[in-house]
Amino acid sequence: MKRKIPVLITFVVGSVLILSVFFPPIETWGEDFSIFFDIIAVFAFFLGGGNLLRIHTKKAIKRQKDWGFSIVTVLGFIIMLIAGLFKVWNDGGIAGDVAAPGSLFQMMYNWIFTPLGATMYALLAFFVASASYRAFRAKNVGATILLVASFIILLGRTPLGTYVTGWIPKSLSIFNIPDLAIWIMTAPNLAGQRAIMIGIALGVVSMSLRLILGVERTYLGVDNE
Amino acid sequence: MSWEQTFGIWLAAAFTLGIVSFLYRDNIFYKVCEAIFVGSSAGYWFVTYFWDNLYRKFYLQAFDPVSPHIAPWVGFILGVLMLTRLFGAKIAWLSRWPLAFIIGATAGVYMMFYFVSNAMLQIGASIKPVFVGSFGDIVSNVLIAAGTFCGLVYFFFSKEHKGVFGGAARVGIWFLMVTFGASFGYTVMSRMSLMLGRLDFLFGDWLRLIS
Amino acid sequence: MKDYHRPQLLFQIFILPLVVILSLTSALTAQEQPVIPADSIIHIPAPTSNVVAVDYVYDRGETVELTWNLSPDDTIGGRIDGYELTRIEQSTGKMDTLEVIPAGISYYKDDKLTHGHKYAYLIRSVYFGAKSSPVSSNIITPSIEIINWRLANLFAIAFILCGSVIYFIAHAKKGKKLFIRKIAGLEAIDEAIGRATEMGRPILFVPGINDMDDVQTIAGITLLSRVAKVVADYDIRINMPVSRSLVMTTARETIKEAYIGAGRPDAYNDDMVRYITDEQFGYVAAVDGIMVRDKPATCFYLGAFFAESLILAETGNSIGAIQIAGTAQPAQLPFFVAACDYTLIGEELFAASAYLSNEPKQLGSLKGQDVGKFVAMIAIVIGVLIATLAELTGSSSLENLSEFMNRLFTIVS
Repeated sequence: MKRKIPVLITFVVGSVLILSVFFPPIETWGEDFSIFFDIIAVFAFFLGGGNLLRIHTKKAIKRQKDWGFSIVTVLGFIIMLIAGLFKVWNDGGIAGDVAAPGSLFQMMYNWIFTPLGATMYALLAFFVASASYRAFRAKNVGATILLVASFIILLGRTPLGTYVTGWIPKSLSIFNIPDLAIWIMTAPNLAGQRAIMIGIALGVVSMSLRLILGVERTYLGVDNE
Repeated sequence: MSWEQTFGIWLAAAFTLGIVSFLYRDNIFYKVCEAIFVGSSAGYWFVTYFWDNLYRKFYLQAFDPVSPHIAPWVGFILGVLMLTRLFGAKIAWLSRWPLAFIIGATAGVYMMFYFVSNAMLQIGASIKPVFVGSFGDIVSNVLIAAGTFCGLVYFFFSKEHKGVFGGAARVGIWFLMVTFGASFGYTVMSRMSLMLGRLDFLFGDWLRLIS
Repeated sequence: MKDYHRPQLLFQIFILPLVVILSLTSALTAQEQPVIPADSIIHIPAPTSNVVAVDYVYDRGETVELTWNLSPDDTIGGRIDGYELTRIEQSTGKMDTLEVIPAGISYYKDDKLTHGHKYAYLIRSVYFGAKSSPVSSNIITPSIEIINWRLANLFAIAFILCGSVIYFIAHAKKGKKLFIRKIAGLEAIDEAIGRATEMGRPILFVPGINDMDDVQTIAGITLLSRVAKVVADYDIRINMPVSRSLVMTTARETIKEAYIGAGRPDAYNDDMVRYITDEQFGYVAAVDGIMVRDKPATCFYLGAFFAESLILAETGNSIGAIQIAGTAQPAQLPFFVAACDYTLIGEELFAASAYLSNEPKQLGSLKGQDVGKFVAMIAIVIGVLIATLAELTGSSSLENLSEFMNRLFTIVS
């Protein structure tokens, strides 16, 4: 029973939303779902935020390894919550915009959140370099094709590509790296993209049907709790 | 520049260096940055969800003095059911209802969305005459059609990749590799510019060595 | 992390100068300022004519299509900027200025209406602030339709595909044996978990950074259930940091079921799955930290990934973990292919849980999926052949057939 009702809910909701595409009076139900989802996600956050607090508080109380950092995490969480929920230093008071300039919430966002996020993102420059290095040691035909294609596209997007092959006569322009890069993007790349996209669509259809029909239900847990 | 701004820039520079130090090895500066990042960002998102979702999408809609909406209550009730997990195993199973609702809705919405945008439109775009234009155009058109076909052969699950079928699948994976290579090469430049952005902050906004 | 020094050097001497050169090139590109013609102040553009409002069919009664004849001034280099549209609600007389449609365009779709209400439209030609006299449309009442017949082709094709999946699920239920080929990335899962057992190190499972309203996350969770079963059997530690609270809840249910299924409910612990933060890079910072401190023997990245894919996979590489990834984000697949030992490419991610379950019903759905692929391939081959022959022969019947094939796969919204 504890699993039958959820399976039934999945079936009804999934089937109705598939059919809603074909019936104009209910065609926006899919959009309504995203609003319901957003509201459910707030309640779910009580569980997630609670878990964050519990794990780090436990770590700090039991003086486990790196417990000091757990205290920092909890403090960061609580200060941000207070700053945002009570709109600390907000010119408009509690009725003002939560991200109003000059508010503590906005300042923490600007001076903590933004640089940390941007720098983490920027680390990709190093990681992409090390991944390129890995790709340079191509081990098989597939990896070699990947390497050659990426190298041509990389060169083709820079003036170096034109500089190196700009002398090639127009009749052989396909060997001109920028032209070759454009050709790769518009021909073989397009073919691969299409195969991947069609495959994904069919995979999603098949998996969605397994979920809606209750063939796949591991996410619901067990009955005998 | 105000003291808040100066303080903020120094703080941001310290965080930038702390995160970058991870490239050398895990260290205390990175751990501090990580702890602050995790805690403050979790708080940030809760605050954002609270005001955007609970207040704006639920409260303002459900308690609209002119025309209160009933629909947000569905989300609210399902959300409350989520919290039954906090009150012991006897009623915790009720939290599966909102999960079942989400899974069913996601499956329904995504199934049609992907089918239209990824399958129908891509198949439609593939149906084109191949022997048109210059010799180069013809080669490209044939490659696109053949590459898509072979790529799909690669994804076949119910037939062994052997013989002619296996050959087509192998050609298919080569096309996929070209796609991956193209995407890889295309992204490298943009990733480099991210690092330049941080260097610009460090040497411009913070150290003022460049204007 | 010493491995990074060499590529970093490569980055500095090779790629960085390229970026600088490219940036300079784009900086040199300048935009020209528009020139205001001398007679713009006095010229009043000629009005449009034949303004027709038509109810848009197969909708919720919220849309009207508007067409008009272009103003005689609307020629190449002509003296007109566009057409200003005004909507009048007949019952209240309320007038709303909609927008200025650029010159050369004689169509507008107004989708902000209420069904059953009466509307009319006024159009004025505009040229540098000067407006022509308004031209009025007919009065129109948008109506609501129950069935969208415009999507009949979508319904028919979706019906064939869904029908084949359901047919093969039912077919497999009867016990008919179905062949499914080996998928390397999935065959490697047992081996990867076995390695963690031998090394006495944990397993890291990352279900992507999206929530449960993404079908890729659901695919990741269904795979988690298969991985967790093996983990429970081998009695090794699984560490699953998540970036969404709902994913945490679902993953706990899933792992708990696997442990109960393996007859070891006592070994299950809620802390196997823990919430980190919803923030993309905050989550990545924490997962990177977990990797270098816990040194998991095996890392699974199965779900929706974005820019963080490479950060995670390269960090995993630096600790020598076996890595199995899978996503349906085409832009991230290259990074997983380059940095991981096995990658489930798009469709393989969605097929993976069915494959690993080895249940006839689930495998049947894969067979049905292949029927869809077969239909797609046949449609492409036949469609291309017909279109090519129509182009080469100029035959009108072939052209009609080609047109039909195109319409079959075109979605009109």
